[in-house]
Amino acid sequence: MNFDFTEDQHEIKRTARDLLAKRSTFEKVREHAEAGTYDGGLWKELAGLGWPGIAVAEEHGGQGLGVVELAILCEELGYACAATPFLGTATAALAIEAAGSDDQKAAWLPKLAAGEARGALGLAGQLIPDAAGADVVVVAEDGGLRLAGGGDVEAVDAIDPTRRHGKVAGGAGEPLGGDAAAALDRALVAVAAELVGVSQRALDMTVAYVKDRKQFETPVGAYQAVSHRCAQMLLHTEGARSATYFGAWAADAEPERLPEAAAIAKAAASEAGKEVTASAIQAHGGIGFTWEADVHWLYKRAQLDAQLLGGARTHRAAVARLLAGRLCPRPSWQECASTASCSSRCCCSPRR
Amino acid sequence: MDLTFNERETAFRDELRAWLAANDPGPRPEDADEDATFEWMRSWQRTMAADKWAGVHWPEEYGGRGATITESAIFFEELGRARRPLPANVLGIVMGGPTLMVWGTDEQKERFLPHILDASEHWCQGFSEPEAGSDLAALKTRAVKDGDDWVVTGQKVWTSGAQYAKWCMLVARTDMDAPKHKGLTYFLMDMEQEGVQVRPLRQITGSAEFNELFLEGARIPDANVIGGVGNGWKVALTTLMNERSGLAFFLQVRLRQLLDDVIEEAASRGLLDDPVVADKLADLHVKAEILRLTAYRGLTAIEKYGQPGPEGSLTKWLWSDTNQQLTSFAAELFGDWAYTAGNRWAYELMRARGNSIEGGTTEILKNIIAERVLGLPRLK
Ligand SMILES: Cc1cc2nc3c(=O)[nH]c(=O)nc-3n(C[C@H](O)[C@H](O)[C@H](O)COP(=O)(O)OP(=O)(O)OC[C@H]3O[C@@H](n4cnc5c(N)ncnc54)[C@H](O)[C@@H]3O)c2cc1C
Repeated sequence: MNFDFTEDQHEIKRTARDLLAKRSTFEKVREHAEAGTYDGGLWKELAGLGWPGIAVAEEHGGQGLGVVELAILCEELGYACAATPFLGTATAALAIEAAGSDDQKAAWLPKLAAGEARGALGLAGQLIPDAAGADVVVVAEDGGLRLAGGGDVEAVDAIDPTRRHGKVAGGAGEPLGGDAAAALDRALVAVAAELVGVSQRALDMTVAYVKDRKQFETPVGAYQAVSHRCAQMLLHTEGARSATYFGAWAADAEPERLPEAAAIAKAAASEAGKEVTASAIQAHGGIGFTWEADVHWLYKRAQLDAQLLGGARTHRAAVARLLAGRLCPRPSWQECASTASCSSRCCCSPRR
Repeated sequence: MDLTFNERETAFRDELRAWLAANDPGPRPEDADEDATFEWMRSWQRTMAADKWAGVHWPEEYGGRGATITESAIFFEELGRARRPLPANVLGIVMGGPTLMVWGTDEQKERFLPHILDASEHWCQGFSEPEAGSDLAALKTRAVKDGDDWVVTGQKVWTSGAQYAKWCMLVARTDMDAPKHKGLTYFLMDMEQEGVQVRPLRQITGSAEFNELFLEGARIPDANVIGGVGNGWKVALTTLMNERSGLAFFLQVRLRQLLDDVIEEAASRGLLDDPVVADKLADLHVKAEILRLTAYRGLTAIEKYGQPGPEGSLTKWLWSDTNQQLTSFAAELFGDWAYTAGNRWAYELMRARGNSIEGGTTEILKNIIAERVLGLPRLK
């Protein structure tokens, strides 16, 4: 049992944090959000470092690492609120790798991994971040996936101007025939990881602010109404982090646990992201409500991420279905007929 | 990152599971009968001790198995999963013994440790007082030196299990002039004496787990000072730290089982098809999983870095919050039946109110998180 990153993974996280702290300051984020552009220089740099292909197999031009490493990058890019098409490109690649035919993989993975093509992933008819301007969009519809082209995208301005959003109507493009659920579950973990980063940044900014800001000759962070709010932000953030890291690990190591882990991660991270960024605005007072204070980028990113691929309620419904499916086929006071379909939690299981 | 148990941990778990499958204390006595419940837990502890399962995290020289903290977590998890009770002397095993191992002299360890595990001497924790709860260091119970003894006068309250205890972990003021954290001393007080009167306190559940202690001229030999005169605050912190970490996994599993039982009961009543019910149960499941996973992250942090990370302070809060939501929702879901005196859910509903008070209130935990984890300033 070792619920922590390896030294290499810690190194990836540190490097990403340092690089983005220099290259994707809020000044930069604001500049691109206001211009309605991505940070092309940063995107080139990230592509040069192999980030978009971190979880793509080496045979397709990626680094061949796992969802854990991808989640680390998503978290750090969320922390920076970076204006890049990373999430869309990386999740599209994840889905094509998990569910694509050999031809589809060969056509798209090397380009996505190299950052030469841009991707996006989302639900048919819904807002999809990074879709406008994407070369390929993985669209989920009725339990299946389709591969749509850039021409199928209708650009839509969303409240998060750090990314270019769009919608794709159902039925567009060609089918992506493989395991749609496995593809989407991996994408859920990536989005959850971004939300963890967004939450962590909102918490860090808030803690720094309330230590400094004085009212009634007292740092406002000394008031329990404020400090307990910060403690609650930490609880939300760390809880989402536990669930997300578990999901990432399950994706790589125990895929049979992924459906539950991914739903839990997305439910927890969606709620955390929304709660924590809202708290951040409140704890900043009037400044928090201004365009300049930068807290709102995180708030807006959190709203769109929380919505992406279904919000907390959608994923709790998925969890509820899994729980119901595990119940013993017979009431607990009767002898169980067979243990074949029963889980460890079932009344007839020897583990209980 | 590897969330599977290693070979040693798996072997430990399998041996324990086999033992738990073969050993069973029988059905729990009625909740209202505390004496019978205590006897039931005491004989269960003897069964455990006979096969060296009573204090797995204790070093082998003291009758334990020298288990790692992950194994110790596995122990509590499996104990809960098998629906076996805690050993009777849980305060001695989880808090008292480990405190002695850090602060006790060799003679003290030899004298006290064996009787903790074999259930011959029960322990209780005499920290809280009527006027010193969250602000424990404000306690007023006094101990004055008289020859080779200390003479104690004062009052303790909420003392769980005092009615069965032979020894009390007592913190008392030995220097009235020193600053409040500095004038305290930690004693082991013999409960079987004239100067100690125990009066049961009835809880909102109707039963009496805890008591008031009236100390009037109670005598403690100097040999029973733990960790030195004036060092009581530090020793008490060791006890409190063990309280928070030791039981976390047992409580986590208890919550898990309670939730499983709610889900099963709800299913048998056809309530799972109600989307509002499904949403709430799923939410509780998400929280229970987060609790389990966060507790595991805490274990890794301790094993790797020697101290808990930020997540260590979060689990008790998350547990009490979730357990309260769960029991409240369960009672609401099952309706009148669950509010009938003697019903299991009625008991759980009421008992859960203590969760956010015992072992440090939620407000105090938030203060600790704000100050020590987030580094926020303290209100003057
Ligand atoms: C079931 C149960 C078993 C117990 N067993 C034992 C035992 O065996 N031995 C033992 O010594 N004690 C025991 N306790 C006592 C427990 O540790 C105390 O009740 C607890 O520490 C709170 O102290 P208090 O009751 O004096 O409340 P107070 O400290 O008076 O608190 C009252 C309220 O004020 C809040 N508050 C206090 N200070 C602050 C602050 N600085 N900031 C914000 N809010 C604050 C509290 O959170 C609480 O809501 C037990 C309690 C329970 C419920």
